[in-house]
Amino acid sequence: MLAIQNLKVSFGDKEVLKGVDLQVNKGDVVTFIGPSGTGKTTILKCVNYLVEPDEGHMQLADISVDFKKIHKKEILQLRRNTAMVFQQFNLFKNKTVVENVMDAQIAVQKKSKKEAYERSIDLLEKVGLLEKKDEYPSRLSGGQQQRVSIARALAVEPDVVLFDEPTSSLDPELVAEVLKVIERVAQTGVTILLVTHEMDFARKVSNKIVFMEKGHIVEQGSPEEIFEQSQNERTRQFLKHYYPEAIELMAVHS
Amino acid sequence: MITPSTWEIVSLLLDVAHITFIILLASAVLGLLLGAVLTMINVKNIPVLKQITVVISSFTRSVPIIIQLFIVYYALPPLLGNFGINVTSMSATVAAILALTLYHGGYLTEVLRAAYKAVEKGQHEAADSLGYTPTKKFFRIILPQTVPVALPGWGNALIHLIHDTSLVFALGVADIMGRAELIAASSFGMNQVQVFLIVAAIYIAVTFLSDGMVRLFEKKTQKFKLDSGLKAKRVA
Ligand SMILES: Nc1ncnc2c1ncn2[C@@H]1O[C@H](COP(=O)(O)OP(=O)(O)O)[C@@H](O)[C@H]1O
Ligand SMILES: [Mg+2]
Repeated sequence: MLAIQNLKVSFGDKEVLKGVDLQVNKGDVVTFIGPSGTGKTTILKCVNYLVEPDEGHMQLADISVDFKKIHKKEILQLRRNTAMVFQQFNLFKNKTVVENVMDAQIAVQKKSKKEAYERSIDLLEKVGLLEKKDEYPSRLSGGQQQRVSIARALAVEPDVVLFDEPTSSLDPELVAEVLKVIERVAQTGVTILLVTHEMDFARKVSNKIVFMEKGHIVEQGSPEEIFEQSQNERTRQFLKHYYPEAIELMAVHS
Repeated sequence: MITPSTWEIVSLLLDVAHITFIILLASAVLGLLLGAVLTMINVKNIPVLKQITVVISSFTRSVPIIIQLFIVYYALPPLLGNFGINVTSMSATVAAILALTLYHGGYLTEVLRAAYKAVEKGQHEAADSLGYTPTKKFFRIILPQTVPVALPGWGNALIHLIHDTSLVFALGVADIMGRAELIAASSFGMNQVQVFLIVAAIYIAVTFLSDGMVRLFEKKTQKFKLDSGLKAKRVA
């Protein structure tokens, strides 16, 4: 479904990804964890080419690219088969809620207004925001904006949805409503790459956890393998700080 | 000789008003186009061309407009002549339009660039991530949000431009100011206060119209200007 080989990224002379390999199957929910500044966002943004890698290969469904000589057309293809949910929501401020969900369907997918509208209404109902459809984003809470942005992402029927810390800029009391929506999305079988610091949530929804540090994938495996049985010293150090529960689980296992 | 009455002066001035208006309109429209092109070069970071926009913009900002008029009218034809381009027949009106276009366009580049940058990077990324072409992104997402931010600055630029049209008589253009000078001179300055008060009134009227037009645009685009909940409430 999605395969990445030897992905390298640098900003200026700073190497941020130092040769990352990744294999994702259809329907997988893959969660990236790790200290901040280690390149988690960067990986996600390579998948839709918001970041320009130095080198590497990627296969996404039937698209195959060599990042060293990628064409404009391939970039659009990658972007039109993926969608991203951003930490800062990034809704279009000149458009109402329903227009936000409709716009790419019209502008990119060339659907009719009516068709786009109906799909958008359906999605807004699923994220529980139908009654806000004619509001502008600035009038919504962070949690509501993020749910709209999830609807906007799903509207284009992507092969992969990229979630980059979708709850990190939310007030604590709004986190749950967004996680609930993401969980429901995960259950529909769509392939998901997720970056989050919500370890309980990651453990619950993911079938694969990727632990990253300093531009490398240190360890990957099922939630049990990472959170309960990891033998890797660096993984354990990280979890000790960010998810002390895991250390207790590990104590139980050993 | 008989000095003309107030109404005669008004009518004499309005007889040549179209010259002023043509210069104003042409340089407003061409200046806006030039400003848009320069802004695009600037934000797209096109090498070499970008340096040229910086030069144009700092030249037009630092050189007094009267000197810019002289440079375009007197210095440009021989300069271009060196490159085999013959513009020696350029009329004073055309030179005035050209100079004011450069001036207005250079000024607007600053306004438009700031307005463009006001749309945060995140919205660019969101549109890009969904596979918008740059054109679709620009016209559907970016431009509608840029316009309301740019309008006040554009309004100011227009007022500067309107005022600066009063200088083109220095090149010998027979515009409102040129005619005003003539009327005043023909009565040996006896009625010059009266003449220039009338010119002032005409400029007040034009500025008033321009302000009204900008304000109308601001009203029409206000609903796009929703960067804060407060403003949103005002619209709803
Ligand atoms: N556009 C950029 N320009 C320069 N440096 C960047 C840019 N984006 C990210 N970085 C740097 O790359 C590193 C990895 O960033 P990122 O992928 O955002 O980390 P994470 O998501 O794991 O916190 C960080 O050190 C960050 O400062
Ligand atoms: Mg990040």
